[in-house]
Amino acid sequence: MMDLTDLPILSIILATPLIGLLVVLLLPKHRNRWLQAAAIIFTLIPLVLSLMLYADYDRHQGGNAYEETANWVEVPLNKETQASNGVTSFTLSFQYDLGIDGLSLPLVVLTTLITAMAAFASVHVKKRWKAFYAWFLLLETGVLGVFMARDLFLFFVFFEITLIAMYFLIGIWGYFNRERAANQFVIYNGLGSAIMLIAFILLVSTAGFHIDQDTSTFIYSGSYADIVRNLADPSAWVNLAPDQTGGLNPFHMSDAMHTVIFLLLVVAFGIKLPILPFHTWMLKVHNEAHPAIVMIHSGILLKMGAYGLIRFGIVLFPEQAKDWAIVLATLGLINLLYGALVAFRQTELKLVLAYSSISHMGIVLLGLAAFNEIGLQGAVFQLVSHGLISALMFLLVGSLYERTRTTTLSELGGLARSMPFISGILLAGGLASLGLPGMSGFVGEFMSLLGLFDSQPWIAGFAVIGVILTAVYVLRAVLKTTFGPIDERFLAVKDARLIEALPMIVLLAFILLLGCYPSVLTDTFQYSVDGVFKPLFSLRMGG
Amino acid sequence: MDSFTQTAWLIPLFPFAAFLLLTALGRGYRRAGVMIGSIGSLLALIMSLLVLFERLDPNAVDYSNSYKWIDLGDYTLKVGFEVTNLNALMLVIVTAVSFLVNVYSAGYMKKDERITVFYGYVALFTFAMLGLVLSDNMLVFYIFWELVGVCSFLLVGFWYARPAARAAAKKAFIVTRIGDAGLLLGIIVLFWYMPGHALDFSSIHNVFNEGQSGAITMTITTSIALLLFMGVIGKSGQFPLHVWLPDAMEGPTPISALIHAATMVAAGVFLLARTFDIFEASAAAMHTVAYFGGFTAIFAATVALAQNDIKRILAYSTISQLGYMVMAMGLGSMTGGMFHLFTHAFFKALLFLAAGSVIHAVHTQNIHEMGGLGSKMRITAWTFGIGALSLSGIPPFSGFWSKDAILGTALDEDPFLFAIGLAAAFCTVLYMSRLFFIVFTGKSRVRQPNEVRESGLAMAIPMVVLAVLSVVAGFVETPWNGWLGNWLTGGGEEVHANGFAIVASIAVGVLGIYVGWLMYGRAYREQSPAAARMPWLVQLLERQYYVNEFYNVVIVGTVRWIGKLLHAFDEHVIGGAVRLVGFTAVAGGRVMTRLNNGQTQTYGLTAVIGLVVIIAAIVGRRFW
Repeated sequence: MMDLTDLPILSIILATPLIGLLVVLLLPKHRNRWLQAAAIIFTLIPLVLSLMLYADYDRHQGGNAYEETANWVEVPLNKETQASNGVTSFTLSFQYDLGIDGLSLPLVVLTTLITAMAAFASVHVKKRWKAFYAWFLLLETGVLGVFMARDLFLFFVFFEITLIAMYFLIGIWGYFNRERAANQFVIYNGLGSAIMLIAFILLVSTAGFHIDQDTSTFIYSGSYADIVRNLADPSAWVNLAPDQTGGLNPFHMSDAMHTVIFLLLVVAFGIKLPILPFHTWMLKVHNEAHPAIVMIHSGILLKMGAYGLIRFGIVLFPEQAKDWAIVLATLGLINLLYGALVAFRQTELKLVLAYSSISHMGIVLLGLAAFNEIGLQGAVFQLVSHGLISALMFLLVGSLYERTRTTTLSELGGLARSMPFISGILLAGGLASLGLPGMSGFVGEFMSLLGLFDSQPWIAGFAVIGVILTAVYVLRAVLKTTFGPIDERFLAVKDARLIEALPMIVLLAFILLLGCYPSVLTDTFQYSVDGVFKPLFSLRMGG
Repeated sequence: MDSFTQTAWLIPLFPFAAFLLLTALGRGYRRAGVMIGSIGSLLALIMSLLVLFERLDPNAVDYSNSYKWIDLGDYTLKVGFEVTNLNALMLVIVTAVSFLVNVYSAGYMKKDERITVFYGYVALFTFAMLGLVLSDNMLVFYIFWELVGVCSFLLVGFWYARPAARAAAKKAFIVTRIGDAGLLLGIIVLFWYMPGHALDFSSIHNVFNEGQSGAITMTITTSIALLLFMGVIGKSGQFPLHVWLPDAMEGPTPISALIHAATMVAAGVFLLARTFDIFEASAAAMHTVAYFGGFTAIFAATVALAQNDIKRILAYSTISQLGYMVMAMGLGSMTGGMFHLFTHAFFKALLFLAAGSVIHAVHTQNIHEMGGLGSKMRITAWTFGIGALSLSGIPPFSGFWSKDAILGTALDEDPFLFAIGLAAAFCTVLYMSRLFFIVFTGKSRVRQPNEVRESGLAMAIPMVVLAVLSVVAGFVETPWNGWLGNWLTGGGEEVHANGFAIVASIAVGVLGIYVGWLMYGRAYREQSPAAARMPWLVQLLERQYYVNEFYNVVIVGTVRWIGKLLHAFDEHVIGGAVRLVGFTAVAGGRVMTRLNNGQTQTYGLTAVIGLVVIIAAIVGRRFW
């Protein structure tokens, strides 16, 4: 078998959907089956590659296991700061910098997996197939780029690509109120992006540079590695007060500025997560977008929020994260309980699932707020687990809607009689969602709460109520759909076709795998925790 | 030596393999399905018996083995199994009842079109219950604890098309989950306070057995014990979380025998036994446990007096008997609790199976539509009678010995609880006499009397086997022979032999039967004399003290109300604010991007806003 490290494997994975996009563009536009086949093939290739990458990944290495860099553009800058260290010229460098570590690798696999399954679920798309699959494949590249980018500007570019692709996917192929949903989506997320960009620019202008000794060039760049190194180095300029450098240090980041940037990042990624009260846009998306798109949205895109929060918020600003942990924990608790209580009142299955996402993302916040290794592991586990579960649930919603033409709870009932397979999977998905041990949901929930208890025991105690409320709303929705007397209209409805059943089985298999053998995920992440996060935690715990 | 003990992990895998096979085969193979399920549980039974025989050797040592499950930073969560005398006893109880129920269901569920699904669920349940029994640490225990809960849920809702079954299944899951949330929190607290963050039972035993020498304060010990006890309250149907168990009777009757009488509901008592050292370390926790148990015993026994559904009477009886077991644990007698669990598993499973045989014959669960069945269904009547006598605590049936062990302890430890236990025993005898006389004696009130006939062999044989066990199971521990206690606890517990307790309990038994015969045996009455004199009291009991109604108004109502309030808040306050902001932005956008048409307009607007903010940021940087 060939050695993956000899190839620019990350770029290959990233580019495959783009090649698929070209293929889709060349195919005739009325050939629905061909177009879907192309989309399935070009999402399966990155899936296989990323699984190989996952198997190949050296779990004992802490940092970036694979890194691929190339210079894009270099812009010469004015000589605006004092020349120390013999610097002769200044450059702003845009870099193509990809890398993965134990945090991004599981999310890359999650992305390729869910996108491939969503490609199967797109069988229910009814119009403009060519454009649909084109945007669909572009979206995958965007998401993968977000998880791989190791440069702030590159990250931003990919982040925006997902935004544009989602905008059209929601606005064209959704349900009745799709355009409204798309507009709200883009306004909110655009706002989030703008805030994120401010934070990024502030970061680059204070910590995002290094001095190339060979050419005596002072290089500004969005390099994540530079920023991490500078922020952590007590003798870096960013950490030296002006009086320590002789009165003038434009790079100094004061405590207040630390806090401001941290909070900007929390808001920017909090909108994506979403943290209450920034959640209304995602309700609309869940309700109005095509189920295949919601699979990606709920399964992956929401994870970008948490990913950004960890990658930029916690790693770059551990002290602020620690100081604000109680706030994050409270917000997480509110998300968890509020989402669950409101989900209990919904009359529309899709909205139950939407509020359920809010509730489950609350657990991610709680895990992060624990600010210890167990909690962080729990948060990441919950990200992956919720991605799989919500993708499965919306896959089912798509199949249900095709048959019943409604997902309003009061009109459903007794479907187990005419579609035992779909109902069985729905029940299994519901049980996974309410945290049944043996399925992935429990592990993330348990680790998050376990970690949280060490730092915030009372909040952890209250969060346990969420365990009960989740059972209440999940069972209400699932049993209303599948149990009880069946409506005559649904008696003749057929059970799942093979193309629908296949992704359901695959997703459920992954949910069970993670639930029974969680080490397959936690070990990958474990050493990233050891390498990157442990110093942060111990540093702060000691101090 | 000890070879079976070391391979005990195989035991749950037999039913699990049966479950996988049944699921893979689908609904087509009805006969094969029954065979697969039964063979799976039979193999588990044989293996469990072999393990038990090994454990009978007085030199047998406990065996455990565990593997890494998750690395958590510096700690490791493990999964593993353990064989002790206590586990070995439970293994045999579970596999024996499971096997008999498998055989019985071949007759009882014969005509159900989803019989293979039923066998699959039963196999899955047996797997989960055996996993629970064998687990070596609290986390694995909790995993299987939840799995048995979900199997119970699936089987209660087996006839899913019935709204009542759906409601009962949901209720069973949610109400037990309230307790489980406490249990989960208890495990989390335990994790952080245990030395070395160990969750395995032997470490727990070692740490808490030393008394209060460790770093764990009394407050923490009591908190952990009470949180764990919440799980017991939920699972073992103790007041105030007992409400799911009577409703769970919506499930098929073999399930009521297996899950809701003999095994799963006893898991709470088993948990008390497994973590007994934690409870013993806190006197406050022990008192709480004892009084919750005692109250549940008398509370449920009085409700059972006024029920008219044969399965509901037995369900309340189960709650009451579980209360006895919990009370015994709280009084410090682990032997008493486990002994009663052991005998109860047989005679209560028997009563349910016999009740199922009756229901199978008369197609109703209302005892007032039965009557005089004794002459037509001799095996059922005899075996039910044996079960009833055993439950009533009449010597020499097994229930007498185990109940006497509990009452003897109570008399020594807490006379008040002894009185409660005795009163509950009287109620028990009374409701069982009422049940027996109304169903099996007198004139027939069956709608179609000609169709009433004894059930077939598949159903009769398990009943007879259980009847034999109900007679003999009590002799493992008698006032003059404390074999079970010595074997379970390594000889640490004294036998509470108390002549007064024995006499009192026999007297109560005989008196109860006599009063029962006076009230219901001499002649059938729709209404008992008590109902004529104190209708309010009978109604109070019939409606189960209005606990369900209370919960519906106070708890369900509150959750609904909060949900409604938050939903309105979400839609109007947050949504309204968003609409306002959105309206302003779009209105502004119309002005700025008048030249553009179409959907991209909004995106352009956002880009513009973004750009403005960026410029502001760059400029603002200068003034920072």
